[in-house]
Amino acid sequence: MLVELVIAVVMGLLFLGIHRKVIARIQGRPGPPIWQEILHTLKFSFKETWVPRTASTLLYVGIIAVAMGIWTAALYVVLAGGSILILFGIYMLHKMVEHGVGLSPGSPYAKFGGIRSVISASSEIPLFAVIGGIYFFTGSLMISDLVAYQADNGPLLLSILPAAIAMYLVILSKMHYGPFSIVEAKEIVSGYQTEHFGVWRAGLQIGDAIKTFVLLYAFVLIFVGQLGPVLLLVAMLALLVSLSFICAVSPMLSPYDSVTVQMVAICILVVWLGVLVVIG
Amino acid sequence: MASAGVAGEPFFALPFGDIVNYFTPYTAVLFGFALLFTLICILSRPEQQLDVVFGTDAYYAKGVTGKELRFRRFMSIACGCATMAAMVSGDVFNFTLFVSMVGVCIIGIVAAVKSRHVLDAAYNYGIIAIVATIPLFGGAAITLATTGTLSIWELSAMASGMPLIAKMLIIVGVMGEGIAPFYAAKAELFRAPGAPYVIMIHVSSLLMFLRVVEILLTV
Repeated sequence: MLVELVIAVVMGLLFLGIHRKVIARIQGRPGPPIWQEILHTLKFSFKETWVPRTASTLLYVGIIAVAMGIWTAALYVVLAGGSILILFGIYMLHKMVEHGVGLSPGSPYAKFGGIRSVISASSEIPLFAVIGGIYFFTGSLMISDLVAYQADNGPLLLSILPAAIAMYLVILSKMHYGPFSIVEAKEIVSGYQTEHFGVWRAGLQIGDAIKTFVLLYAFVLIFVGQLGPVLLLVAMLALLVSLSFICAVSPMLSPYDSVTVQMVAICILVVWLGVLVVIG
Repeated sequence: MASAGVAGEPFFALPFGDIVNYFTPYTAVLFGFALLFTLICILSRPEQQLDVVFGTDAYYAKGVTGKELRFRRFMSIACGCATMAAMVSGDVFNFTLFVSMVGVCIIGIVAAVKSRHVLDAAYNYGIIAIVATIPLFGGAAITLATTGTLSIWELSAMASGMPLIAKMLIIVGVMGEGIAPFYAAKAELFRAPGAPYVIMIHVSSLLMFLRVVEILLTV
């Protein structure tokens, strides 16, 4: 089990590096090498580290363990073919990581990131379109059942496209440098992560890496089905590059525009799903 | 239980008299998370929030001390306990009761903060939360009137299950307790100092919403 975790961390960091590289190339910049995020994490791991005097110490430190713990649990849920309700529950609980990291140091910049994280809670709403759509069409929320269903009936991507788009939006809202990344906007330095440095930042990077890997892997499993290792990697990379493309060509929205765009999108998707339900 | 395809096979049931709580992989994860944040509220001291004075290089620190700290910590722990109970409740009425209790505790967490802005937000939140209890309990009442039971176990075994209108009322009620699109006041509550306690506000609301999704898909 530890092997899968190490693979997820390394692959996740590599995916984050590819994400940065693709954005840079689309914007006409050379960009960092794709292993830059691995180097960052190693560098942070050996930097001098302390806890700010104003911080709530237990929360400041403990939330890093929570960040890594919840995404490790999510990885095993996906690998074990568990319920996507647990997976999406963990996704929503990641909000608590953003709040905890943002509010615990006492810094105004980190706090703004934490408050924006509350505002951006609307990005979780598309999840319920995904859950509702999948449950209606397949009668189960267990990933193992969904894989078996797709082996018999073909990819869910084709039969419930609006749910797939909703999950795509969910993943997009958690990508760095994306249109909805208001919690880490540069006008508030590094947003909620501003005051976490050294080993704490390395821990956050590791949590981020597992999160990226898990979300991409889960999307492929839920909407395409079980693939061989090479095809799975190709599918995850294709998904990542498409997300990077959107991040590269779209500006970061203001907090309230970010909420409005996601709410409008989800309303359209829910109506679309409703039409599919009526037809089906 | 019929929810096996939703939240996994139940581990065990924990009866308290006629109240039967149950732990599935899903409810156990939610319960564990509520417990973790309750422990953080019990054990950690609040941060010292720094604020910049606009137009100058000056900054000032806002702390949480003395009576205010004790009261807010108590309300956070009460909120955590109500959340944990709602996570494993096997009864629709108990669930709605604990959701309402969470709403009251959330107001309590920021009621002692000496900031007009935060208190205004708490007042706005309070109005929405109180109004939301009407559909919340209304949904439970309709369920009892039409099916004769409020037990999630029994409702999940029934062919007809919970009426659609009751499901809709309960979800509106839980949304009113602090999830999008009724969560605007909560963003303002987050401006209050005292991170571990303030975070409990959103922890409880998110967990409530995650639980209600499982309940509504099950029944």
